Amino acid sequence: MTDWNALSDDEFRAEVRGFFEAEYPEELRHLPHRPKFAEIQHWHVKLHAKGWVAPAWPTEFGGMGLEAAKLLIYYEEQQRYGVNRGRDMGIQMVGPLIIKFGTQEQKDHWLPRILTCENIWCQGYSEPGAGSDLANLRTSAAIDGDDFVINGQKTWTTMAHDATHIFMLVRTNQNTERKQQGISFILAQMDQPGVEVRTITTLAGETEFCEVFFDDARTPRANLVGEIDKGWSMAKALLSFERIFIGNPGLAQNALAQLETFAKGRGAFDDAVFRDRFAEVALDVEDHAALYSRFADQLKRGETLGADVSMLKIWVTETYQRITELMIDVAGPDGSTLGPLQIGNIGVDVLASFYKARPSTIYGGSNEIQRNILSKAVLGL
Amino acid sequence: MSTEHEEDLRLLRDSVSTLLDRAGGVARARRVRDEGKGRDNDVWRELAEAGVLGVATPENAGGLGMGLSAAGVIAEEVGRVIAPEPVVPTLAMAIGLLHRTCPDVPVLAALIAGETTLAVAWQERDLRGVSETIDCRFVGGKLTGSKDWIMGHADGAPLLVIAKMDDGLALVQVAGDAKGVTAKSARQSDGSAQYSISFAATPASVLAEGPLVAAALSEAVADATALTAAELLGLSGAALELTLEYIKTREQFDKPIGSFQVIQHRAVDMKIMQEIAEAAVREALTVMDNAATPLVRLRQASRAKARACTAAQQITRESIQLHGAVGYTDEFDVGLLLNRALVLSAWLGDAAYHRRRWLEIRDTEEAAQ
Repeated sequence: MTDWNALSDDEFRAEVRGFFEAEYPEELRHLPHRPKFAEIQHWHVKLHAKGWVAPAWPTEFGGMGLEAAKLLIYYEEQQRYGVNRGRDMGIQMVGPLIIKFGTQEQKDHWLPRILTCENIWCQGYSEPGAGSDLANLRTSAAIDGDDFVINGQKTWTTMAHDATHIFMLVRTNQNTERKQQGISFILAQMDQPGVEVRTITTLAGETEFCEVFFDDARTPRANLVGEIDKGWSMAKALLSFERIFIGNPGLAQNALAQLETFAKGRGAFDDAVFRDRFAEVALDVEDHAALYSRFADQLKRGETLGADVSMLKIWVTETYQRITELMIDVAGPDGSTLGPLQIGNIGVDVLASFYKARPSTIYGGSNEIQRNILSKAVLGL
Repeated sequence: MSTEHEEDLRLLRDSVSTLLDRAGGVARARRVRDEGKGRDNDVWRELAEAGVLGVATPENAGGLGMGLSAAGVIAEEVGRVIAPEPVVPTLAMAIGLLHRTCPDVPVLAALIAGETTLAVAWQERDLRGVSETIDCRFVGGKLTGSKDWIMGHADGAPLLVIAKMDDGLALVQVAGDAKGVTAKSARQSDGSAQYSISFAATPASVLAEGPLVAAALSEAVADATALTAAELLGLSGAALELTLEYIKTREQFDKPIGSFQVIQHRAVDMKIMQEIAEAAVREALTVMDNAATPLVRLRQASRAKARACTAAQQITRESIQLHGAVGYTDEFDVGLLLNRALVLSAWLGDAAYHRRRWLEIRDTEEAAQ
């Protein structure tokens, strides 16, 4: 088995880039929506055969065993080439959770099924009353013999209508001092009488998010991961790498490239006002990338990232939005037209980009929550 | 960047910041301004003794050869205490021009040693602002024309002047009391004087001439631009620090105003702006140090100045707002920082100018591919 970490960064980048460019299906590049598994299954088969489904997992569990710096490169290349992440909740969230906190039985049973996508996972965190204030969640799991009985509602559950399983944070103890206590991490099957999924139609007209209702749904007690009532700290432990990745320059860089293509096609670079606004966002992207490499270098030196890494997410998502807004301005009277606008033989879907950028300041901890965190943890206010 | 180089930079930063803090920090800038002196000769000599002025000059021209990243560290520290001495104009313009065109002239060594200072007169004014061309002429040993926006000059001091000859540019030196020199000074927002000087058949001596003068000028201006960005970076960092301290201690409604979320979020945005500027300016200086073509160096200099001007203006203006009414008094230091930011933003092109130039250079590079 190849020890990817032994390669230099440049060698590894070339390896990843070469594989994506040779093998990733052209028609799936830069998909504007989240695909159902069936749409990308042929790609998943190739990825699985290569052994690259789980870049972050240790090799003993079938992963690539990448260190943080290499992992960052893998994701940077994935984003650059427009490689869809696939149905990766199992890979990104459930697998690491089970590897870190699960029993041997749980590892043996679940991990291989995640890699093959025999089980497709969705994430049951948010609830109608628990968004930014996630610890406010109310969905309960009560012990009944060998089972948990689940009641309540999850929402913003991405692609729940195309998932076989859900991993969720549930309240297993109502009588705790702090609401962060008494929360547990459990796994459950979607296809059962007590689970109902309804899709949510977004502003973009997509149905990628769902509401999931639990009415006496059941899951075996063996599907509790880690200790009962201790799920909150486990969920937080999973987020450390995500905190830099969510602030990576990829989305903004791709949008900027799209804006440049579109603006050239429309002759916008002849306009002094556009030129200034373009230079402004382009420099916002370039200068953000400089700060991002400073944090990435910290990771490469094996240092732990502090709370200040959230600065990246705030800056890049807000820049990303400004870029897509500028694209709408360039479109002028076509700025409300759905679907690709033709620039020569290239189609640029201005509104799809605009819509895609909107939730970026909301998900992964809204930018307002990130500012609260920075204010307390970094500025000491 | 090697860790050895990083360690050198850290030591340099420590020694310059200690020197400037011991000299009086921001309070010294206020004192020098109130006394109307323009600079503090003792501090100037100490800076020169610390090797500050020749830091980016190659060793074979009598400098330390540590590059622009090192000069940037110095400029940041100068900006942090808004030192009134003309460090960047001397280091990047006067010394930068001489070491590139005539490394053997004795005045270069005297400049590096802090024994003399020479302001560089190169920009000229036309109806729209900075003229694209140089019309000041040097013919038969005599200089005729006028120059504007001369930084770091003092009444009666000698000058370096860029002038036009029949075939290209010349770098000449003029005595401050030479015949035909008329100097006018305008007071800037920070209390410093900026000069406009005209020459009427003024005798001058040539230090260098030919194509290398134009190339050296472009390089020196790029350096000065990037280092002014570093100076702004130090300045905005100081404004941010002062403001954070203030909002933690100033109480209204029985609690520190920094406990209010609206203030917290604005402070966070200032912090992010500062960190982005720091990463951008330092990266630009590093790229400029690692060779790069003249075009890349110019683009990086513009990138740095565009970002640093934007950050310093936003941060100093927001600092005034978060200080409330006292921020509008001369008594509080935060105002000194705002006034200095105005000067450093205006000099060598503001954010909008540099964004425009950055994009033009990018277009040129693309067309060449």
